[in-house]
Amino acid sequence: MEWGNPLLDDYVLSLTGVECPRVCFLPTASGDADHYVVRFYRAFPASRCAPSHISLFRRETGVGDPRAHLLAQDLVYVGGGSLVSLLGTWRAHGLELALKEAWQSGVVMCGGSAGSLCWFTHAVSSFHEGPARRIEALGFLPWSNAVHYNEDPGRRKAFRDAIAAGMPAGYGAGDAAALHFVGTDLERAVSSRPAARAFHVSADSRGAVRERKLPVRYLGAVTESKALAA
Amino acid sequence: MGGGGFTMYERTPALDALVLALTGKRVPKICFLPTASGDPSDQVSRFHDRFSAWPCEPSILSLFHLARDRIDPVDHLLAQDAIYVGGGSMRNMLAVWREHGVDEAVRAAWESGVVLAGLSAGAMCWFQGGVSMSGGRPEAVPGLGLLPGSLSVHLDGESERLPVFRDAVASRALPAGYAAGDGAALVFAGRELAECVGSHATARVLRLVPDGRGGVDELELTVRLLEPAGASKPPPGEALAVGEMRDLRAGGSRWR
Repeated sequence: MEWGNPLLDDYVLSLTGVECPRVCFLPTASGDADHYVVRFYRAFPASRCAPSHISLFRRETGVGDPRAHLLAQDLVYVGGGSLVSLLGTWRAHGLELALKEAWQSGVVMCGGSAGSLCWFTHAVSSFHEGPARRIEALGFLPWSNAVHYNEDPGRRKAFRDAIAAGMPAGYGAGDAAALHFVGTDLERAVSSRPAARAFHVSADSRGAVRERKLPVRYLGAVTESKALAA
Repeated sequence: MGGGGFTMYERTPALDALVLALTGKRVPKICFLPTASGDPSDQVSRFHDRFSAWPCEPSILSLFHLARDRIDPVDHLLAQDAIYVGGGSMRNMLAVWREHGVDEAVRAAWESGVVLAGLSAGAMCWFQGGVSMSGGRPEAVPGLGLLPGSLSVHLDGESERLPVFRDAVASRALPAGYAAGDGAALVFAGRELAECVGSHATARVLRLVPDGRGGVDELELTVRLLEPAGASKPPPGEALAVGEMRDLRAGGSRWR
């Protein structure tokens, strides 16, 4: 849902293997912000998929049974915002159980920022005052995750410190970089911008942190000249 | 409040003014928590529209959107004279509060003398339970339990809540409690009901008690009509009554 850059949106749609995939947006982490919902419907118009969204703040106006709705999707897209508020709201509606069921039945799960962090066992998030916090998330993927990894030095430091202190090894993704997992294993890292970066971060038994730069495949390479011409 | 106040475009700002008056401070610090609606920007701007016209120090605590100054939620709440909680999904609000430690912070604030106020979900949350639409249909939902009993809201505006509340009190799923209409408010001193007040003459509060035979006894309580607060001119654009606003929202908020 990057402005003017559909590369990552195209990529997640292609992962479904369906011509007109059913795509459900979960804007929970933003408090179901209207402007975000509008942005989703612009990025995922009915001409290329069957879009819908679930609002957990206005359930009286939305889909009746969120679980049944999620299970019927090809792709679930989780928006960014506050990871802590996202997890609290989902747990209040049992949505994390429905999402796990959907994921296990083959629905493609994706998201940006808090919508990325949520799938891992641990995440480092800096939302309110003070240092970035270590948060236990849903744990579908048995790794840790940090986002805005190159853009926010505080997060990179907090992530490395947490891993040195015993948090499971994991992945730091910069803006415009995406980590593609098949099952629980990293298949590849892709990006919507040539300079985007992603890292695997681990610690040895003495707590020394090793940060390994991952190969990142820029999704626009093939159409770059066309995009520049336009 | 069973409804009313600035978030519901109420013309008379009497209930909002009362929240400030109850602090007893000349320039009270008042923090608005719009968690139950997901911190929407329109509620935030309406809060500033109304309270910036009065002598007070207004602030917002958002748990979904980053504030520029990155305040610590708990420290900020403990430093207030009044905490004003907006309406929306009570279930979501309490779940999000728990994750951030805000539930314990408002309890500690209350015990130290901070005035707690709110409407709809932001009123029911202080009681042992309420009737919430958080799941799509009205249902009994537990609250924080600072105040004894239960509360149902929008008595006149949302008719589907009262039958559910009546059944919940009759079956003792909820303790005996109150049903308040838009523009009606219950004022508690500590855990005791001091009085019921209203911003307009038809604001109602009912007391519901199990009758011991599987039903409920309902008693209408006296509601003191508040003087219209003159200190604030209604902000421009605030020309809709609560009922009109509800009709607009019911018809206009569904995404297709």
